[in-house]
Amino acid sequence: MKVTVKQWHAVAQWRWDTGHSEQDDDGEGDVCGICRVPYEGCCPSCKMPGDDCPLIWGECTHVFHMHCLLKWIGTAASKQQCPMDRKPWLTAERKVGSAPVS
Amino acid sequence: MATDALRSQVAAKWQESFHRLNSDAPGISGLMNFSEAWAISTQYLYPWDINNASLDGGGKPFGKDLNVARPAFSLVNHSRRLPALLENFLDDMRQNFYLIENEINQFMERYEADEDTAEIDPLITKLMEWYKSWAPPQELGSTFFSSYTLNFQTRLFSALPPSFAHGFKKLCARLLSPPDDDHAQWDPNIHAEVWKNFEILGLIDRYESIIASVGYEFIENHVLSKCTGEWGKPMLEELRVWMSEKVVPWMLHVYARGASNAEEARSMLQGVGSRFDFHINKTLCDLRTREIFDIIIDFPDSMGALQDLKDCLQRVDQRANLVRSLRKSNQKRLLHPGADTKLILQQYVATIKCLRIVDPPGVLLFKVADPIRRYLRERPDTIRSIVANLVGDDDGGDSLVDENEPIQPLQQPEFEDYTDPQWEPEPIDAGPEFRTNKPGDILSTLVSIYDSKDLFVKELQVLLAQRLLMITKDNSDRVERERKNVEILKIRFGEAALQVCEVMLRDMTDSKRIDGHVQSQKESVVHPTIISRHFWPSLESSDMVMPGQFKQLQEDYAHEFNVFKPDKTLKWLPHLGTVQLELELEDRTIEVDVPPLEAAFIELFADQAIWTLDELVKAVGAVDRSAAIKALSTWVDHGVLKEDPENTFRLLERAEEPSEAVVRERDLAALPVVEDTPAISVAQQQQADQMRVYWKFIEGMLTNLEKLPLDRIQSMLKFAPGYDRSIEQLGDFMEAARREGLVVVRDGIWKLNK
Ligand SMILES: [Zn+2]
Ligand SMILES: [Zn+2]
Ligand SMILES: [Zn+2]
Repeated sequence: MKVTVKQWHAVAQWRWDTGHSEQDDDGEGDVCGICRVPYEGCCPSCKMPGDDCPLIWGECTHVFHMHCLLKWIGTAASKQQCPMDRKPWLTAERKVGSAPVS
Repeated sequence: MATDALRSQVAAKWQESFHRLNSDAPGISGLMNFSEAWAISTQYLYPWDINNASLDGGGKPFGKDLNVARPAFSLVNHSRRLPALLENFLDDMRQNFYLIENEINQFMERYEADEDTAEIDPLITKLMEWYKSWAPPQELGSTFFSSYTLNFQTRLFSALPPSFAHGFKKLCARLLSPPDDDHAQWDPNIHAEVWKNFEILGLIDRYESIIASVGYEFIENHVLSKCTGEWGKPMLEELRVWMSEKVVPWMLHVYARGASNAEEARSMLQGVGSRFDFHINKTLCDLRTREIFDIIIDFPDSMGALQDLKDCLQRVDQRANLVRSLRKSNQKRLLHPGADTKLILQQYVATIKCLRIVDPPGVLLFKVADPIRRYLRERPDTIRSIVANLVGDDDGGDSLVDENEPIQPLQQPEFEDYTDPQWEPEPIDAGPEFRTNKPGDILSTLVSIYDSKDLFVKELQVLLAQRLLMITKDNSDRVERERKNVEILKIRFGEAALQVCEVMLRDMTDSKRIDGHVQSQKESVVHPTIISRHFWPSLESSDMVMPGQFKQLQEDYAHEFNVFKPDKTLKWLPHLGTVQLELELEDRTIEVDVPPLEAAFIELFADQAIWTLDELVKAVGAVDRSAAIKALSTWVDHGVLKEDPENTFRLLERAEEPSEAVVRERDLAALPVVEDTPAISVAQQQQADQMRVYWKFIEGMLTNLEKLPLDRIQSMLKFAPGYDRSIEQLGDFMEAARREGLVVVRDGIWKLNK
């Protein structure tokens, strides 16, 4: 028997490639350390997830909703530090395509 | 001892009387004249037997010559002996009334034999003849005459047997009823003579209530024959016209006799006219009350009936009856497992609309709606039905919400606002539970069955998700339809509630755009819907792994996606979606659309012809055993796989005849109601018994809805607890029931065999 796929209407979820590959799929996934909303959700000031509410990576490996971090950095209390480890915030260059295609 | 004075006084009196009787004639010659006059008078007045009279030479009854009698009367009168003559006459009547009595009895015996009013007519004529024949002449004065009449009537009434009342009633009814042909010019005055006779004989006063009941029944019959099932236009006005044309002329004979002019007649008719008009209202009101359930079903084609009901209810206090009748019908015909939720909702919505017409303040609706709402609240699929209807996912069902009703935000229940200038006190029969039901829109009313709208919003999301995931590359235009739906729902349920739906819709368009790009880079048969997690209602997860070429297809696509969107990856939900496959076997080619699990299994058979169930389950990751069996049976049904032996599946490169096992299974599904089926296994028997439980439901729905196609029976049976039969099994059962003579089928429509 020969099985030919003529067309496949598949369903998939998109995920941010946070570099933390093989994250726990059953859980809610990682959440933004500032707003506690999952990365694939959106920050409190957005309505649409994904490209409209992107993530931002720090050199310290911490990841936040970009809007959340910018708001944080904008406050005097932040002293321009990462809210998780208090290291000076440095935005990392995204390692494009770093996620191995599994 | 009489004194001399007394004696002389008596003597003087006697002398006076004597002189009067003797007419001051010489000797006793006057007295002789008086006794002759007396004899002539009594002879003239004598109540004779009109059926058996001896006639004199002039052809008149003997002794009935008024020319002879007149001087005699005059003499008797002059002698002041008229009272004695009357007394004598009445006494003769008493003695001879048996003549009339006999005649009455003859007529009534014949009447009692065949109840034909043709016997009553001539009886009345005959009685009139007796009455006229025995009547004293004018010369004797009105006192004499009225005493006669009174006496005659009194004796007549006591002589008439009870059956006369019955016959008389029928006669009156006949006099009232116009000929069958309604359009014929019918003149009730043709009976004027008969009515006059009734009046003379005193029958109208005597039988007044009977005559009235004839009127009431006449009205009743007319209302019922004209209005039953006629709901399109209001009938009340027409009935009033009919009343003034057909009934009032009749009433004139009865209730306005003796009126000297039209004005007087009108005022005499006022009381009875108003009673008859009330009776029209009452009869129509009762009729519409009995019909109300079907009137609601027919809405809006039954507007006329509703308008009538409204008008009648203002005249006749039957509101409580209406509520009782409708609640009873609802209980019997609507709120039972045989009725499907959609139908109940539709009838509820129609009930709302209808009762708002009949009773704008909403008291009736409040009382009728309560049990419906409670029942709907307990049905598991009510919200789903409402929501499905809202988004037009209702296979052809009528929309619950009027398309021309403006789309407006849901109204939340409010407390009474006494500052509202429109506020009115609650109607008197409102009851303590009643809350003024501001005529809100239908949807708000439906949503308010539940305490909160959140359940609806959740259900909307689930339904939308299901519908969106069904959309493939080939019907992607449906996304736009869903978007329009969501826009409308946003107005109703609020923007925030529908926010996740916005994300779902955007995922749909993004998916299409992404797929367009991926295909342009590297063509693929995969066209995924890429969804945002957290925004779609929780879709059951699966640990399924697609084998073989499917895995490769997934990886290739995911790679291209990652090239296009470097900061994102794809996580497949392999159990969702559909696959269009072509299977080339040795002797045939099969093209099918199947769920992914089916596709995964058949892919495994491409490399290896025989698998056990356990091996198969392991090869696609962890899937539910029953889901696996179901998927495999799809292929068994297609004749591609064969289970042989149990839990081992073999690819059929060449098609086989339907196996015996399959045939046997089909027989099993049929209910073994036929007594001679040999050796029914326990399992079969159980299946049959279980199916019999559902017979009650089937019988119920066929009783209420009269006839149904098989698929409707099947969909309604799904509300019966534990029902899990296929439509084929149901079909076999219905066929068996038909053989038992319980049901009949025509053109695929099933009915009870009555
Ligand atoms: Zn955040
Ligand atoms: Zn944001
Ligand atoms: Zn950090």
